[in-house]
Amino acid sequence: MDNKKLKILAVVDVVILVALVVVLKTLQGGYEEQVKKTVNEQESAYLEKNTQVLVEQWRSVDQYSMAWKLVYSMLSGAKTEAAFKANLASIEGDKDARFKQISHLYTGAGINDAVQNGIFEKAGLAEGSILVKNEKGNKEVACGKGCVVKFSFAKGKLKNIDYSALVQYNLANTLKIEKPGEYHFE
Amino acid sequence: MNLKNISIALTALVFGLVIMLFMQKGNYVKQGREHYDNTTAKSFKGNSMVLELVNNGIDMNKQTWAIACEALQSVKNSQDMARLEAKFFPATKGSNSIANKTRRFEASSANVIVSTFGKVEEDKKTGVKSLADLQSVDVSVLLGNVAAATAAESEDEGEE
Repeated sequence: MDNKKLKILAVVDVVILVALVVVLKTLQGGYEEQVKKTVNEQESAYLEKNTQVLVEQWRSVDQYSMAWKLVYSMLSGAKTEAAFKANLASIEGDKDARFKQISHLYTGAGINDAVQNGIFEKAGLAEGSILVKNEKGNKEVACGKGCVVKFSFAKGKLKNIDYSALVQYNLANTLKIEKPGEYHFE
Repeated sequence: MNLKNISIALTALVFGLVIMLFMQKGNYVKQGREHYDNTTAKSFKGNSMVLELVNNGIDMNKQTWAIACEALQSVKNSQDMARLEAKFFPATKGSNSIANKTRRFEASSANVIVSTFGKVEEDKKTGVKSLADLQSVDVSVLLGNVAAATAAESEDEGEE
């Protein structure tokens, strides 16, 4: 190859090199930003989904705890429909006691205060009343996800409490933390 | 000769940069994937542990509540109570305090119930004392009022 051709090749190489460096730098910034963005989005979505399960568990434990307290109150105190109403209102209304009971269960299970507070900040307490059915003498109380306690009254007197769902309560069947999916970048 | 070497080197550099150009996307995606995998795996592990621990906690808690609620309906004396405890927790026994006329059942430090009886009975043949006439079942600990239950703590001196 003669000198002239070599010179042209060298010049073309330099031009291509400069162009490539510019393209490389431009794409570099773009890729970095895009990857960061998609990673953040996908991580946040997964973390949010996971946290939601713990939020649901916390609220279920609130309903579960209130239901046990109500069953206990009805068995240990006055066995009337009026007492049921009063007990229910008092249990639902005492938010400090509700938190205390949930927190006690979590502490006993080995969950520290920081984790509990983190969940409580997002979950609060279960919303609405646990009384899900109120037809004359038949009342049903939610005792957590997929759990109902049945109270039946005849002429204002307690006839029966079916709390078998509470005794068999098992959240492991209804709440699950999903494994993370694959990260994808297009 | 010198120009030839420079041209070869420059051409090699051009090819090198072209290869880098194709590789850089893969590198960023790899780094991103590593970050995502680490973060999500940590979250999965931590949250699964919380979920499982609480579910296990509920398991023990519900059985303790079940003893308290069933006791209110069917237990008359400390022997009945012992049978009920054994139904839910075969490996854990409650203990009577004859002096306080109470029976304490502790499935774990967080799951305790204290039953109060009205009478102390003595087996004439064996001299063994037991408690009868269930008055109440204290669930303070289950409600999170640990202090109240500590005050009612009894010494283990009785028989079943």
